[in-house]
Amino acid sequence: MKISFAKPGLPGSGAVVVPVLEGRTLSALGAELDERTGGALGRAMAASRFEGKKDQSLTILAPANLGLSRVLLLGLGKAAEIDEARAQAFGAAAVANLASATDEEAAILSDVIDGNGLGSATFAAHAAFGARLRGYRFDKYRTKEKPEDKPALKKLVIQAEDHKEAKALFAPLNAVAEGVELTRNVVSEPANVIHPESFADEARKLADLGVDVEVLNEKQMKKLGMGALLGVGQGSERESQLVIMRWMGADKDNEAPVAFVGKGVTFDTGGISIKPAAGMEDMKFDMAGAGCVLGLMKALAGRKARVNAVGIMGLVENMPSGNAQRPGDVVTSMSGQTIEVINTDAEGRLVLADALWYCQDRFKPKVMIDLATLTGAIIISLGSEHAGLFCNDDDLAAKLMEAGQKSGETVWRMPMGDSYDKQIRSDIADMKNTGGREAGSITAAQFLKRFVKDVPWAHIDIAGTAWTKKDLTVTPKGATGFGVRLLDRLVADHYEDR
Amino acid sequence: MIGEAGVPIVFEGRPPFADDPTGSNDEYIGAVVVGYWRGCLPTPAAVVVDRASGALTRALAGSHFAGEEGDVLTVLAPASPACERVILLGLGDEAELDPARLRRLGGIAAKALMESTGGRAVIGLGLDGFLAAQFAYGLRLRGHTPLNLRSRPDPDRPAGPAEIVVATSDPDAARNLFSRLESVAEGVHLARDLVAEPANRLTPQAMAEQAAALEALGVEVEILEDAALKAEGLGLLAGVGQGADNPPCLALLRWRGSGEEGQPPLILAGKGITFDTGGISIKRYDSLHEMKGDMAGAAAVLGAMRALAGRQARVEAVGVLALAENAVSGRALRPGDVLRSYAGKTVEIIDTDAEGRLVLADALAYACSRYRPAAVLSLATLTGAVVTALGRHRAGLFSNDEALAAKVLEAGEAADEPVWRLPILPQHDEDLASDIADTRNCAWGKVPDALHAARFLMGFIPEGVAWGHLDMAGTARTEEDLPLCPKGATGWGVRLLDRLVAEGWER
Repeated sequence: MKISFAKPGLPGSGAVVVPVLEGRTLSALGAELDERTGGALGRAMAASRFEGKKDQSLTILAPANLGLSRVLLLGLGKAAEIDEARAQAFGAAAVANLASATDEEAAILSDVIDGNGLGSATFAAHAAFGARLRGYRFDKYRTKEKPEDKPALKKLVIQAEDHKEAKALFAPLNAVAEGVELTRNVVSEPANVIHPESFADEARKLADLGVDVEVLNEKQMKKLGMGALLGVGQGSERESQLVIMRWMGADKDNEAPVAFVGKGVTFDTGGISIKPAAGMEDMKFDMAGAGCVLGLMKALAGRKARVNAVGIMGLVENMPSGNAQRPGDVVTSMSGQTIEVINTDAEGRLVLADALWYCQDRFKPKVMIDLATLTGAIIISLGSEHAGLFCNDDDLAAKLMEAGQKSGETVWRMPMGDSYDKQIRSDIADMKNTGGREAGSITAAQFLKRFVKDVPWAHIDIAGTAWTKKDLTVTPKGATGFGVRLLDRLVADHYEDR
Repeated sequence: MIGEAGVPIVFEGRPPFADDPTGSNDEYIGAVVVGYWRGCLPTPAAVVVDRASGALTRALAGSHFAGEEGDVLTVLAPASPACERVILLGLGDEAELDPARLRRLGGIAAKALMESTGGRAVIGLGLDGFLAAQFAYGLRLRGHTPLNLRSRPDPDRPAGPAEIVVATSDPDAARNLFSRLESVAEGVHLARDLVAEPANRLTPQAMAEQAAALEALGVEVEILEDAALKAEGLGLLAGVGQGADNPPCLALLRWRGSGEEGQPPLILAGKGITFDTGGISIKRYDSLHEMKGDMAGAAAVLGAMRALAGRQARVEAVGVLALAENAVSGRALRPGDVLRSYAGKTVEIIDTDAEGRLVLADALAYACSRYRPAAVLSLATLTGAVVTALGRHRAGLFSNDEALAAKVLEAGEAADEPVWRLPILPQHDEDLASDIADTRNCAWGKVPDALHAARFLMGFIPEGVAWGHLDMAGTARTEEDLPLCPKGATGWGVRLLDRLVAEGWER
């Protein structure tokens, strides 16, 4: 789907989307459209429950006197309440509602909305962002899909008084959307396609955008002493990889970077502590943390963010085999700390332990954030509306919570503390890799904290938010790309040169 | 006996052996407790005791005792002074002495004193009146003997001290404050004992009788029996209790302490499932015996009411205990049944083991309509999900009111009963939507059940009423000794509620 911006005006064909404020107030062009159709819009609204409240929609097919195939009325709610999120939801709703239509072209008449505090260019740019995010589709493996089952929409034109400004405002958002889509793509790919090596190849492609990409293989990691990460991957035929991406966009090259570390278990069988069969196919998305880091690096490079950022992905496949890690094994991490592996299915923290340590050791970041589909317990704790936030720094936590509110990817802070840390004491090693069911997400975070030096650090458990079983406002069912928008926003608001 | 009083604790101005280093003039002394700061720096009393024969210095030389908070070293039968034992207590850093640390130290001392075989225990830490009272509070909380139904006493168990003397520079101030704290401790002990009571002894009726016992302290108590529940339309509470031979009831406790008529009260409501089999959606057999403690929310409310009445708190408070036994029988509630609540809302029962929210919903709606409260708190061992989320160290807090939530968080920290806020989300209405009734009581699968339960309850709180809900499934019991509580029932919630009232509602 191609998205463009244009001056306001009534098109002669295709579909049009008309924003409506609460109280059935039409935009200026909407009112003109209503007049030209002899009041068809007003009559249709009166005959339905459509009042222009947010998330309401009403379709009028082929109104008289015009060449239009359909008019889609979308509620925006109260003008004063219009913010970026609502503009995005509006654009997303346009695409969602037109998904089953036959039109290849549609125009959004977002010309003038009285009292809209965003301004028409910003509104249009965010509507475009929402449309692009919602219009995502992962259909490459559907070889027999009938044309009528695919969305017909090829071209979406968003109208704005200052359409050039809208276009300029959309450019960085478009780069973020491209990052989100990359994340959704790699997360959606099955594990026979995306494995550690092919995932690393995806990262290498970012070199085109000016990202410096390095990949460490098992031999190199062994030399560095990454026994925790390597232990997880040792049962797999696939070679484990550590991917290091660097985007040096700050004014000064020696400016300490912000660092992002992602768990990338390309498939998680659970290992010898094997998972039950039901639902195991979902474990292809156990690399969503790394997927997010990849998409985020693409977004930052794509919009030429003025920041030095490091993205690290720990990529392994967790398989049972004759050479697989066993419960009871003790591994030595790069930090020198020893870990008793009680449950081979608590493997993400083992991968992150070495990736986090390597990150701090080599890059001395000013702030370090990891993302991981780490625990099932976070789904029981918070459901799928918020990711779990664990943080050793109140200021960083506040920034992340704020970025979450602004980006629509919200996080909820969870507690940490010594009393929880006690749950991962081992009888034989420095720690064990699971603290039991109780406070399962917190003890996982405590485990990670043992590999964090004196740096502001946040851990985001995205096990509940990386994948959605139902359509969400700007996210179709499937891989969400959670974290890219959140962290892009965090960087934009706090870590970029002005 | 439930809520039995502990060993007498008295305050004296004279430190141990102050005017007689040999102790020969003193009446029989069992144990002496003296303090050391971090780095083994002795407090004045420790210097005095050591001066008699150097016993402490010799013992310290051969130990790892470093004066860190909680370090304990016992010197048995020193040559002089004349006492059974000297307990050296590590006090930690002298700089940051706060009341919470004193309470913990009191708890540690209480545990060490249990080895004592009788006589007076004398504690000389050089504390002012305020800190001495906090220390004594810790002694009292940790020193509580858990409910014991053994038919004969354990011959190996030492008698412990017959009396504990806490030396302080201001005995009057200490006595004054401690008398209030001791009322709270009595409430805590009552709650612990009720939670420990097995369900064949503690039925809904028996629990209501425990509530009625507070009349002696000036609490007005009213019991709505089963027939009244049905007549008043508390269909959820009646429904949960319908499978048991021991009928359900609602206990209402009113404490009028403000001295003013017409003040809106604070409502404290507790889930009181005296035994939870799960009902027809029966639970697994392992750990099922712990379900005798599924009335810990109601026990906390009862304990808090005892604390408030005991210390004559200047507050209007209403305690509401939703009491029922969730049993399996031929007349038990079935999954799929639809009940009509007091609020009028109909509820489809998906899982009969999600019963706590049902009894609380009716209790909350009834109490709100009857008392027009200033604010409402509910306490319940409500969900396993909150244990998965927060473990055993914090309870989950849910609230529809920012100001109230902030007060509860603060009270929890101040009272050593920390809570953590979790969200209530409108999106969860979809998960609780029923095909046949206004709502259903839970959803299946890998779901955030603690959040669902809170959202469910919120639907029974009238618009505009500030409400806080504490899911204490993880904190009602402890599998290990804690500084202020021996293994077993914790009495969790009493101290938080008392603190909340003291800071937020008393005039």
